[in-house]
Amino acid sequence: MGYSNRQEADKTVVEIDEARLDASQATPFRDYMTDLISQGQRDLVLDLSQVDFMDSSGLGAIVGALKELNGDGSIQLAGPQKSVNDLFDLTCMDKIFTIHSSVNDALSGGIQ
Amino acid sequence: MDVLIVEDARDQLHLLSAIVRKLGHKVHQAMDGLEALSILEAEPEIRIVVSDWMMPNMDGIALCESIRNGRFDRYIYFILLTGQTDHDALVRGLSVGADDFLHKPVDYKELEVRLKGGGRVVALEQSLEQKNMELSQALLTVEKDLESAASTQEALLAQPAVINGVGFEWHFQPSKILGGDMFGYHAVDDEHVMFYQLDVAGHGIPSALFSFALNNLLMDADGRTSMLREELSKPPWYRVLAPHEVVAKLNQRFQASADSMLYFTMIYGVVHTPSGRVTMTHAGHPATFWVRPQTGDIQMLADSGVPVGMMPNMSWETREIQLKPGDRLFMYSDGMTECESPGEEQFGEPRLQELLHESRELPMTEMIEQVWKELCAWRGQSSFDDDMTCLVLEYQGGK
Repeated sequence: MGYSNRQEADKTVVEIDEARLDASQATPFRDYMTDLISQGQRDLVLDLSQVDFMDSSGLGAIVGALKELNGDGSIQLAGPQKSVNDLFDLTCMDKIFTIHSSVNDALSGGIQ
Repeated sequence: MDVLIVEDARDQLHLLSAIVRKLGHKVHQAMDGLEALSILEAEPEIRIVVSDWMMPNMDGIALCESIRNGRFDRYIYFILLTGQTDHDALVRGLSVGADDFLHKPVDYKELEVRLKGGGRVVALEQSLEQKNMELSQALLTVEKDLESAASTQEALLAQPAVINGVGFEWHFQPSKILGGDMFGYHAVDDEHVMFYQLDVAGHGIPSALFSFALNNLLMDADGRTSMLREELSKPPWYRVLAPHEVVAKLNQRFQASADSMLYFTMIYGVVHTPSGRVTMTHAGHPATFWVRPQTGDIQMLADSGVPVGMMPNMSWETREIQLKPGDRLFMYSDGMTECESPGEEQFGEPRLQELLHESRELPMTEMIEQVWKELCAWRGQSSFDDDMTCLVLEYQGGK
């Protein structure tokens, strides 16, 4: 459970070890991201492969982190499961984020 | 401090009383457990009891038990008097909730420190009681506020109606915590009826207040101030804005801050009443089901779009469909399809579509009742984690 990060290919890979990114996780997740951003991490890749449910609060938390970067940096989304991908499709998240099928793709610059 | 001494031997009672009084306490006296209980009831100031074990009528153990069974709303510190080697009394006393013990004959110094210890516990209990009371009162205020906010939300909802030959029915089930679902419809002019449904992200007061504000704005039908029309310099002096234009205007007006992330998903649409032509925009909101009873066909209008208020300078698309008399549009919030069964399985879109197919020939009200009944059965309990809304529009041939 929880969040961890590692440096890889000049990017910060944030691993989300939570099955649900919902209202109960929105604040801890945002706090974790705020910490990373205030430490100067700018190019972030979110590994979503463990998340099997995301709601509007979870989505808001991810977009909130992007807003916090204020144009100085990027957040890429990687490895969404089907239900999360459906939410991204419904809300056109590809207009806001680059979405990759896996963390490896994100690190090598591939697009889903 | 007020101390009650319970002792059936008169000489012992007097001796103990004299000592406790000398230590600066106010003394109350009882000769057995029953008398002690009635004194404790009459004198709410008493917070410490020093009681003998063996007594007629009600002994010390039964007295302690009786105090601990919740008949008093204050904590009473209980010191049991026991014989020097009375191991059994100690075990039984502890098991019924005695706080401390004193061996007989009572040592003056020991009694003093035991009473001091009791005083500390009672003071702690008192400050806890005070905090508890303050918390309960604060909670009560919050709950009342939430209730009144929920009834405000309900009062804002448009009533089922037929407007210029377009019928509207709905069901709205607020979650146990206030949510951010809202919807409405009204005539924009003689030929156009607007409808909308929205769901503000998150729960609670911020989401609900935001949905109230949005409702005020969208339900403003006044030609001069309405954000749904644009003034023109030549006849007919205005035009009804296309749905994607209204959504884009809302998006520019309400940009969520990184902290609050109050954004919303929505459907906004306009019915051209003489023709049955509908233009509509989905902004991250679940698909609309287009139910056509004549052909038995149900089509999902699964348009995607960015939610409103998330990012500035986004664009949306307007879809156009042609309704025939009797055609319906079924719109819903995600609370409905994400409604979980006791086994944590979501209700889901396919089940909803199936239900709409089965109930396609029923009148709108009964169609909604049917869906609602199935959802309640699916949920298996009467409280819901999220607001659930469905809004049904039926084209009844214009006016």
